[in-house]
Amino acid sequence: MGKEESPQITRRTTRYSSAAVLKNSVETKASDTNLPSLNDLLYGEEGKPISLDDVLSSFPGRKIQILELMHILGPVNCPMVPLFIYGGTFTGKTSITLQIFRHLNRPFVYSGCLTCYNPRILFESVLNQLLLHRKNEANGYSSAKRCERPSDFVNFLREALVSVTTSLRGNSGKSGSKKSDKRANGNMVYLIFDNLELVREWDKSSTILPFLFNLYDILKMPELGLIFISNTSPDTYYSNMGYVEPTPLYFSDYSEDDLRQIFMRNQENKKLYSSFLEVVLRPFFRITRRVDELSTAFSQLYKKYCEPLSDPGVVPNEEMKRKLFSNLQPHIPPSMNDIFKVSSQPSTKVGATKEAKWKSGTKRSGGFEAIDQLDLHMSTSAKYLLLSAFLASRNPATLDASLFDSTGGSDNRKRKRKPSEKSLEQKEAVEQDLLMRGPGTFPLERLLAIFQCITSLAEGLLEEEEQGNDGLGVQGYDNSLMSDVLLQLSSLCNANFIVKGGSCPLEGSTRYRSTICEDLALKSKQKFLGGICKSKWLENDEMEKRAETEETKEGVKQTNTCEKCGASFKKPAYLKQHTRSHSDENYKDAREPVRPDLPELAKARNPTNG
Amino acid sequence: MGRENPAEKALGLLRRRLCDPSFVFKPFSDSPDSNYSKLKFIISSSVTEACNNSILLLGPRGSGKIAVLELVISDLLLEFPDMISVIKLSGLLHSDDNCAFKEIARQLCVEHQLLFSKMASFDDNSQFMIAMLRECGLAHKTIIFVLDEFDLFSQGKQRLLYSLLDAMQSVSSQAVVIGVSCRLDADQLLEKRVRSRFSHRKLLFLPPNKEDMQRLLENILLLPTDSTFPQDYTVQFNAKLQNILADERFKDVLNTYINTDSTVNYLLKFLFRAVSNMDLVTGFLSLENFKTALSNVQRQPKLECIKDCSILELYILVCMKKLEIKEQNSYNFNSIMKEYKTVHDSFQTSDYYAQNVCLRAFEHLLQRELISFTDSRGNNQSIEFRPVKLLVSSHELHQGLKSYRSCPAILQKLMAG
Repeated sequence: MGKEESPQITRRTTRYSSAAVLKNSVETKASDTNLPSLNDLLYGEEGKPISLDDVLSSFPGRKIQILELMHILGPVNCPMVPLFIYGGTFTGKTSITLQIFRHLNRPFVYSGCLTCYNPRILFESVLNQLLLHRKNEANGYSSAKRCERPSDFVNFLREALVSVTTSLRGNSGKSGSKKSDKRANGNMVYLIFDNLELVREWDKSSTILPFLFNLYDILKMPELGLIFISNTSPDTYYSNMGYVEPTPLYFSDYSEDDLRQIFMRNQENKKLYSSFLEVVLRPFFRITRRVDELSTAFSQLYKKYCEPLSDPGVVPNEEMKRKLFSNLQPHIPPSMNDIFKVSSQPSTKVGATKEAKWKSGTKRSGGFEAIDQLDLHMSTSAKYLLLSAFLASRNPATLDASLFDSTGGSDNRKRKRKPSEKSLEQKEAVEQDLLMRGPGTFPLERLLAIFQCITSLAEGLLEEEEQGNDGLGVQGYDNSLMSDVLLQLSSLCNANFIVKGGSCPLEGSTRYRSTICEDLALKSKQKFLGGICKSKWLENDEMEKRAETEETKEGVKQTNTCEKCGASFKKPAYLKQHTRSHSDENYKDAREPVRPDLPELAKARNPTNG
Repeated sequence: MGRENPAEKALGLLRRRLCDPSFVFKPFSDSPDSNYSKLKFIISSSVTEACNNSILLLGPRGSGKIAVLELVISDLLLEFPDMISVIKLSGLLHSDDNCAFKEIARQLCVEHQLLFSKMASFDDNSQFMIAMLRECGLAHKTIIFVLDEFDLFSQGKQRLLYSLLDAMQSVSSQAVVIGVSCRLDADQLLEKRVRSRFSHRKLLFLPPNKEDMQRLLENILLLPTDSTFPQDYTVQFNAKLQNILADERFKDVLNTYINTDSTVNYLLKFLFRAVSNMDLVTGFLSLENFKTALSNVQRQPKLECIKDCSILELYILVCMKKLEIKEQNSYNFNSIMKEYKTVHDSFQTSDYYAQNVCLRAFEHLLQRELISFTDSRGNNQSIEFRPVKLLVSSHELHQGLKSYRSCPAILQKLMAG
């Protein structure tokens, strides 16, 4: 039984341990033989009720809110109207509420909508706690009551509340007779619903939310107190109107002074740390006001700050402060830009609660962190594949030909003319469009074609550099880099660098999209191809390509051989015409793979396409 | 519990009163043209004359429809014991026909000490209800059906309403259906077959007028002059309260509050906050209590959110505003960053941070719901490419920047121009 010791307590501990502010360790239960009793509804098992001063001192900067909350809860046995607590993340809503209940020593039922992710689990968790039911082996880990509908829940809840309140009343009646170390105060029972904003995303939110807000009026039991805790303000619930608004209580974000107090808590060398905070708090405060993010950033900076000191317990004087400051100063700006790289908690990344956003949130950060380790974890061919995916995603398919065409400079004269106003406007519009649309999708064939171009080019150049002979390596598609491309692709997909987009209804094949950002691509490019072929390709991505095509590719020998299928031509113009057919293939008939080994076939198709 | 001091006891009493709607609406029941009297007359006449009836109680949320109805029913239960049984349904819980019939059967069983079967089907339950209606009619017992959130019952096929009202067409049954709704057009939502069976009797609940409001306040807040409290404390408390109620400043506070919504429950919410702020040391209510309650209850969530933002987040908001002024119909994180960069280029601000920092600030804004994505589905796009929109008006943003402590002057300037 000790193992299953009420899941509610573990839930509280997890919520607590994430709150950087709170230092009170939550007591875990030692004795295994406790029978379920009403005391389970109190905070913790052996936690002595704490005084109000303790609560106040453990939450600096929260005095107004704590006192207001105490006022609303009122003295013992006072009914209360439903309360709606709201405020940003990491403002201490849940922990303060729970600590106040610890102080008041009144029975309550806590259920967070984060763990109870659908109505049924939420209802059953409330009932389990009220009925003092524990899931264990004996009952097959089942809930006390099975209820899915709000109507059943109301009936069960009324029964459970009546039984709890009568036994509470009985308790307080004979409180003098039995000497108990701990006893619930009063005969009110409080239901706390945490993370209420998540309910809006549930399937039946349009009925569940008004139901929860109306619960007090439906039950009409003065012994019941309802507390809702939400990240978002009450006005974000208006779309589900259908209730009298509960009385609001706002937890504002911490001010600069509050943050200073919070960070000063539990510091060994207060003087030193306060001089450190003098330096860093103000600039960082302009970026974020969240305790969690600041504390991760500060913990590293403080180490840097203390580095020159031999004795960490030293009390700094003015001169030393100045020295330390000048020592730290160069580290501050980079650290500010890094502030979010190491995220302290995965949930903080999520902009909103939708799963789709979740995915993209993790994707992003994955991209950032990978920059440094890219070298270590990727094979060369994977890197090339990544690059080609990036190119395929950022460039329209129509530009492929001119990009990878070795005779791209042939019609330069046409484009060299001064950009007119109209074309500039157009360019701007295109740029705007690109900003809005984001990376496009591409079929596998196009990716492979680009990949081939890159590999052949890189191989050739490598050979050229190394051997200094005429190893052009144009026919590089059978070299080692091409091996296991599909395997590499799938591993890149798993790493979220490339995502599978929806399949095109016309073509039927899966389309891909690269999610890496430009920084990453630029960096990886410099690392892998550095110096070899300039930054030609990537400039193209910035849509300046058309103006800059006159810059001929260095290192690529002018030859009239098609890079995709190996067909050779007499004149560059023919080749160009031919190459266009490759890019057209991609959307005309993409099911047909590029067949590099059948040049005669390509030639045969050439006249029809051109 | 030992000896309580009178202040604590008074506080408890006041809070209990505020949370008990039947106490609050009691004083309205004595006048002959009140809703209470009308409703009581209708129901009692249909009980005594053994006829069927149906009524709609309409009025804004929190105007005390249910409270008055409960008062009436509890009075009638005393007046005609054993002649009335009450079935209560709520549209929030039982809008599903199946569920509603089950609940009716359950409550009927509880009322008449019958065994309720959970396994009974929809048909069983509806037949059981009709049979019970007939039986009760023969025994001259009236069943009162209270349908809270009546408008929600009109979703779907309205089978419950139809079979209820249809059963009431026969002479043998004896029932009253009372619909309670905050939609004034609730009877227009009914199907034709249901509407034709419904008597179009409606009672309208209006917010109290000035005099009623005054009476209500006195009734709730004054302490009783019997011996529950020490005599001198009661006298002093009531005198102080009368002073406050007569005070012009109090009337101002009350009027600003009531201007938004003047229903009784809304007023109770305000009084609750004021009473819970009562100073237990002095033991009296003060004008300050009401003032703080006003500021506590009337919140401006968007402004608070803006005040909570960091400077960088404000920059992003202002950049979005600028894009909106430029009449760019849709924009995403990348276009915001472009705007941010131009702002930085032209003003050389000290707050220029890397893109990933801005992205995180952007996510904070999303979390605060000051901005949101315009498209609902993510369709696999990264955050920075999805189009977004502002959820604050330019006026609110302007106000927020003004009241923001140490707001950079550039932002104000950007907002103004």
